[in-house]
Amino acid sequence: MGIARRSVMRGGAFGGIAAIYIALVGLYTEFAELELVGEQITLGRVMLVAPALVAAYAVTRPRVVAGERRPVGFGAGVAGGALTGLVTGGVFAAAVWFAEWFGVDRIREVFIQVSEPLIAFLTFDQGVPAGLPILIGISILGGAVGGLARTAPAVARAPLAVGTIAVIAMAMLQRIIPIVFVELGFKADWLYSPVTRGLTWLGAALIFAVAAAANVLWHRSGEQTRERVRSTVQEAPAAKLGLLVAILAILAIMPLLLGTVISEVLGQVMIYVLLGIGLNIVVGYAGLLDLGYVAFFAFGAYTLGLFTGAFLNTTAGAAEPALSADLNFYVAIWIVALLAAGLGLLIGAPVLRLRGDYLAIVTLGLGEIVSIITASKWAQPLIGGPQGMRGVTKAEFAGLNFQDNPQHFYYLVLAFVLLALFISWRLAGSRIGRAWNAMREDEQVAEAMGVSTIRFKLLAFAMGGAIGSLGGALFAVSLGSLTPTSFELVVSITALAVVILGGLGSLPGVVVGALVLIGLPGLLREFEAYRLLVYGGALVAIMILRPQGLIPNVRRSRELHEEEVEQDAWAAGTTGDREAVAAVLPGGGLGVGREDIE
Amino acid sequence: MGTVTQGPTRGAQLGRLERLPWRKIILVVLSVLILAVVLVGAYRTLTLPEDQAYSGTAWRNFIILGLAQGSIYALIALGYTLVYGILRMINFAHGEVFMFGAFAAFFFADAYEASGFLDRSPVASLVILLTVAMLTSMGVAVLLERVAYRPLRNAPRLVPLITAIGASFFLRETARGFFGPQTRGFGVPTALEGTWTILGIPIDRIQVLVLVTVIIAMTLLSLFISRTRTGKSMRAVAADSEIASLMGIHVDRVIVTTFAIGGLLAGVAAVLFSLTFESVNFFMGFRPGIAAFTAAVLGGIGSISGAALGGILLGLLQSLGPALILTGYDIPSPFQLKDAFTFFVLVLVLIFRPGGLLGTGDAEKV
Repeated sequence: MGIARRSVMRGGAFGGIAAIYIALVGLYTEFAELELVGEQITLGRVMLVAPALVAAYAVTRPRVVAGERRPVGFGAGVAGGALTGLVTGGVFAAAVWFAEWFGVDRIREVFIQVSEPLIAFLTFDQGVPAGLPILIGISILGGAVGGLARTAPAVARAPLAVGTIAVIAMAMLQRIIPIVFVELGFKADWLYSPVTRGLTWLGAALIFAVAAAANVLWHRSGEQTRERVRSTVQEAPAAKLGLLVAILAILAIMPLLLGTVISEVLGQVMIYVLLGIGLNIVVGYAGLLDLGYVAFFAFGAYTLGLFTGAFLNTTAGAAEPALSADLNFYVAIWIVALLAAGLGLLIGAPVLRLRGDYLAIVTLGLGEIVSIITASKWAQPLIGGPQGMRGVTKAEFAGLNFQDNPQHFYYLVLAFVLLALFISWRLAGSRIGRAWNAMREDEQVAEAMGVSTIRFKLLAFAMGGAIGSLGGALFAVSLGSLTPTSFELVVSITALAVVILGGLGSLPGVVVGALVLIGLPGLLREFEAYRLLVYGGALVAIMILRPQGLIPNVRRSRELHEEEVEQDAWAAGTTGDREAVAAVLPGGGLGVGREDIE
Repeated sequence: MGTVTQGPTRGAQLGRLERLPWRKIILVVLSVLILAVVLVGAYRTLTLPEDQAYSGTAWRNFIILGLAQGSIYALIALGYTLVYGILRMINFAHGEVFMFGAFAAFFFADAYEASGFLDRSPVASLVILLTVAMLTSMGVAVLLERVAYRPLRNAPRLVPLITAIGASFFLRETARGFFGPQTRGFGVPTALEGTWTILGIPIDRIQVLVLVTVIIAMTLLSLFISRTRTGKSMRAVAADSEIASLMGIHVDRVIVTTFAIGGLLAGVAAVLFSLTFESVNFFMGFRPGIAAFTAAVLGGIGSISGAALGGILLGLLQSLGPALILTGYDIPSPFQLKDAFTFFVLVLVLIFRPGGLLGTGDAEKV
């Protein structure tokens, strides 16, 4: 029932190190001023509690003793959590003390984020010794909450967790929801404070109460009612249709409610949804890891520019490109997609015999070649080189201006997203989709069963390339000008992170992935500098903890049924911890045959 | 958007076409084309009129630069090759291991430059810089293995690769957060400025230092691998980790050792690289990392002598290639395309000879 002292010490120490890391990388200073609830609860302070909370949550996880899962008791959980928090807070406070003693200015010569404001933030403006007990106290509290979150009876745990998550989510959406309220004619002052922009205490309490009550009601309603609701939503055609119509309606009115600034963010999200759908075909369906997806993005953007009569930027002014046409956008974009499909075949043909990781590296190389050439002086007469191009078409249509009006642009990109979603969805269930599935799970067996793997791999590359180029073309329309800095490896990695976070092979996953990874940084400008840090961390964390992604592909999760997983965990000589089990899940079927797992 | 229908009859028709060795034909045509482009470019460069052509000294400098650069690549490439040999995984984040070493050395070099210690006793300060960089890189490499890769030991092959890419970005952005986004000048001791004349050829002192250090490091490494007990167990695990563990070798410990050695070598490379280019920044790991990986693949990944050979060849190719081939086509500022050369070589090697020059060629199998 108790928790080993060593486990508490270790977990707490890791929490402390994590807190020191967050401080050094600059996240506390960045988010110190972002108020979530009232004036006291800022995102920075939430992050201050988070290491202790997470460490305690991990320390109080159920143990497996002699093949039996033994949850930690309630009292032991809270006490163990608080102790973990104490260690975390102690380590962190010791580091702060050391920094003050050693000299903040001297440390700043190496770690540029260490500053007096940071120390003031960490000590709650009380200065070093006086503020440190507060820091430790808050860590103990966080640890206790973490232990509580793991060990409290389910009756209490679920509503509390749901309520807290709802409050944090609503607080993070502080740049959206007030606008919607005002637009709909309601007052938002009682919910979001006009001074801090965060939630008011009253608003937070209401949101918490509503979310928790909804959760309680849902659980009280009895198993039968729940099952009925679930099956109606999942199976009844009318309900499905209704849901679809509702989602479409929300998508359609969103930009009208949210105004131009947020519509611009939504437009970017939609571009990455498009890229995600395309990349999902290559990586998720066919199991080919493509790290050079930016090649198609750049190809789409630049060819659209050339086809619709954009100009080169030169030191002497605008110039005509060596090759160009003056087509209508609605003609040009299909040619672009077709050419990109051809480019996909061209890139795909020589590399398809390569094994998975080599294929990834070759595509990375090809993508980099494209970005280097795009930015080189050599490419100057054709596509503008380092100076880029401008004057890309505005794609005007029936009085809509897709370049200068982000609300209009949103509808344009939404149309293409819906088209791509439809194609992708139909493909997944078709003969082609099944062939991709077979190929991804085991290439040799698929070949033996008569699936022409070469042809289907090429098809995946062509489809993925065409959709990626659409994303690039729309990106070009939204900006109106092109510079090579927009077409670097980061695009490939972002698209990959979107697909993987959502869940390989899962279309709803792509949308959620793009909303989280592109939308959130777009809404909270403070995130911007840490975007890539988050992407990188997310890729590592997902691969280790949840390789199937946030919204897993249904068929794929069914493929990974429990028995197999437990066997693998046993074979790997692990103790059967949940994390370890997750780690040996066959990667959400990343296109590697079972024999590779060995 | 291409749609493909494939009824049974069309399938039969395509069957005959498919029986032609398309892949071979494409590859042969491709290689002839590339060879022609290279030869024509080289011919045109070498027959340029006197006033536009590179002088003999310029070519000699290119070669020396290529050797120095290539030997640094070789050191980094060893990190890739050792890890690949044992885990069959591409440690994409190795470039960041290198970058952290460079930063660690930078802070010491910066302080020593300010205090004058760097110029007063260059040998002592270089030894300290090397030690600091090696220890830092080793620490980062070991940490990386422990946190990011060990939980995935038995996962399918692409999972650790994606993790490695994520880790690479995470480490790079961490360095940006820790140390700031700007490029900083790396202090060089005055004793290393200027040239030494060796066999009648003036060579930059730093390049001499680079070559000598790399030769020493390589020799030590090959002695370590071939003579010591740990080296022996590394070879055993590389040959077959399962059998090795049955023979009583602690596989996890060997893997950590491998990462540590890769880190140590990356630390040496980091100091040499920073001295050569006299600057450090948070994204300095990416391009040299890819170049080193290319070198490892070129020589035959998993092979230690292959990494050395591949590094030198790639260094020469990077310094000679743009001048020799691209100048012939009147391409403006050919050295902008230096890295494109690297990637081109990488792609070609993987397509034509995935096993590399000294490899066995079995990497082609699925």
